[in-house]
Amino acid sequence: MLKKMLGQLGIEEERVRLDWVSAAEGDRFAFIVDEMTEQIRALGPFSRDDGGNNG
Amino acid sequence: MAKLKLGLYWAASCGGCDVAVLDTNEKILDVAQIADLVFWPIALDFKYHHVEAMEDKSIDVCLFNGAIRSSEQERIARLLRAKSKTMVAFGSCACFGGIPALANFFNRAEIMERAYVEAPSNDNQGRTFPQFQTEVAEGELELPELYDTVLTLAQVVDVEYFIPGCPPPVDLILKIVDALATNSLPPPGAVIASEKTLCDECDRKKEEKMISKIYRSHEIIPDPERCLLEQGILCMGPATRGGCGARCIKVNMPCRGCFGPPAGVVDQGAKLVSAIASIYQAKNEEEIARMVEEIVDPAGTFYRFGLADSMLKRKRL
Repeated sequence: MLKKMLGQLGIEEERVRLDWVSAAEGDRFAFIVDEMTEQIRALGPFSRDDGGNNG
Repeated sequence: MAKLKLGLYWAASCGGCDVAVLDTNEKILDVAQIADLVFWPIALDFKYHHVEAMEDKSIDVCLFNGAIRSSEQERIARLLRAKSKTMVAFGSCACFGGIPALANFFNRAEIMERAYVEAPSNDNQGRTFPQFQTEVAEGELELPELYDTVLTLAQVVDVEYFIPGCPPPVDLILKIVDALATNSLPPPGAVIASEKTLCDECDRKKEEKMISKIYRSHEIIPDPERCLLEQGILCMGPATRGGCGARCIKVNMPCRGCFGPPAGVVDQGAKLVSAIASIYQAKNEEEIARMVEEIVDPAGTFYRFGLADSMLKRKRL
């Protein structure tokens, strides 16, 4: 539902990820963090324009 | 004591806030006893140049309703700020953007296209749009410029007090009038409402919050005694400030969130999506998908009154 809502607000789905990793799965944890980091890096910085063209 | 000077203004609003002032009925005569109304476009024939001619800080209190979405509204907000000792954001639109701020899911070009071309009642094949400046034989005509983004009053000028509500209930209006009369205003920055959430103040029977189907208002006649959320009706009570007297709940309608975020909450919509999602009772992915579909417009539902005031303020441009 959060993803659906963020989509309406113009935020890319790839910026949000929910995953489950057990405390015993160190490798998997590192892999997911790396993967997510690369994914975000590929998207670039989160551009934001608060005001738009106000006058 | 000299009479207080009171100003009222409407920006991007429906007029309901001004009507709420009149809803004080005979109490409005008490207001007239303690205050002179020096500016109130809906009721009195003062013009902008009258306000411009006033000395700075000569209005004691300005009750400003409506959001800011045009150059004219911004200009008058700045003018009234300069002329007023105390600025009150009056009603949900001035406080949080309100219903007009749902326009922040679009930009100016999209709004113009919809309003002047796409809307079914239009016949505008020549694509005529209102112009901010138009040359005519007599000279140049000007219209206020519509902004891409609807803003709250506090995003434009400094605001001392906030009275939320769509519209603010009469008892809160009288509360601030009374505080003015007795010179007992709260510290600046205060929201004139409750510090609790609406859920805290709601006297419906609450049992276990677990829902497996969402109903829209027209799909169900709710039990008038039980918590609406527990009946599967989206009620914004968990992350909405109380103090409204639970007007909607008492007539069996769910809270829409017009009092904005409760004390300590920055983003009402984010809080609501977390509150609602956490009570979902689903057995498998399909059920989750179905329930997500049942909320047709989550952003519009959870930010119904608060988009301009949210962390994102608008859909990304």
